[in-house]
Amino acid sequence: MSRVTKGFMFLLLVLMFIQFIQPPRNKSRQASRMDITRVFPVPEKIHGILKNSCYDCHSNNTRYPWYAMLQPGGWLLASHIKKGKQELNFNEFGSYSRRRQQSKLKSIANSIKDETMPLSSYTLIHRSAKLSQTERELVTNWLEQMRYSLL
Amino acid sequence: MKLTILSMAVSILLFTACNNGSKTTNNSVGGIDSAKTEVAHTEADIRTASTKEVISAYLQLKNALAKDNDKDAAEGGNNLVKAIGNVDQASLTVQQSKVFKDISDDAKEHAEHIGSNAGNIKHQREHFEMLSPEIYELVKAGDKTGQKFYYVNCPMYNGGKGGNWISETKDIQNPYLGKAMLNCGSIKEELN
Ligand code: HEC
Ligand SMILES: [Cu+2]
Repeated sequence: MSRVTKGFMFLLLVLMFIQFIQPPRNKSRQASRMDITRVFPVPEKIHGILKNSCYDCHSNNTRYPWYAMLQPGGWLLASHIKKGKQELNFNEFGSYSRRRQQSKLKSIANSIKDETMPLSSYTLIHRSAKLSQTERELVTNWLEQMRYSLL
Repeated sequence: MKLTILSMAVSILLFTACNNGSKTTNNSVGGIDSAKTEVAHTEADIRTASTKEVISAYLQLKNALAKDNDKDAAEGGNNLVKAIGNVDQASLTVQQSKVFKDISDDAKEHAEHIGSNAGNIKHQREHFEMLSPEIYELVKAGDKTGQKFYYVNCPMYNGGKGGNWISETKDIQNPYLGKAMLNCGSIKEELN
């Protein structure tokens, strides 16, 4: 075997080996009592948009994509979920203080307006998670209304 | 066979390396914590810790943003995190303590984001906009220094939605628009 083939084989083996190291899954079968739908009236359409574009990283249930089975893809996703849930968890929204809820509603609107969310590394593969202009307006208008209802 | 063993060894190494990586991030968080307690341990600090430091860290942040300086703003944000952590609740009046309990967690989170977003002044300003009404409430609850403050509004920030801030001077230095429109703003309220 040449050096190059050996190197290649070696890399392949490493890749095969790391497949056995699967991060734990973000799956909860319980319906959360602190869900955002318990705090605010969330219209079906808005809920659908949030579920499709945000819930994979900001809820207790991720719809795992094919690449989650392939490492290091799954590791990357797991790290996004961990950080994402720390920032914002739609399933735990009711447990936030009133003030934090207000701030989060505004932060969500900001992140959507600035198009920093959903993460671009995510929409690269999940094309349908990208929000259209009308979707952005629909969601941000609703967020504004909900924020006023808290004042 | 040798190759397999070698590759396994390397993978294990890689894996532990990754683990170490996440551990060090944890440690750095712990580091901040221990720094905090260290500061809290110096006695002089305990006695003087009040909302005063919180307000002065906020003003440092505000002035950095008015100069369009994201790095100094981040430093101001980090100082604010520390100042909030250092507040000795026992030294506050009943009214101050009530407000402080209400705002401290959220204000701290904004300050953390400002601290970690050097290089993204737009995002720092978004958090500053949410932070300002909280500091306003704290100032309004009274501070012993009796220093005068001003609550200023600029209607032009955020596409006409406007933004407020606390200033220690009547002279207007806009932290939202910076040099682009330094003097935009009018005093809504005088405090203390
Ligand atoms: C691929 C995972 C992923 C998806 C999908 C995602 N986020 Fe995030 N989000 C993150 C991560 C990771 C962070 C924390 C680090 C950061 O800000 O980059 C975060 C942070 C946030 C923050 C805090 C921002 C700040 O710094 O103030 C908000 C608000 C947010 N996300 C809202 C959303 C919304 C709304 C959606 C859907 C439209 C969404 N996210 C979709 C991963 C994700
Ligand atoms: Cu932020």
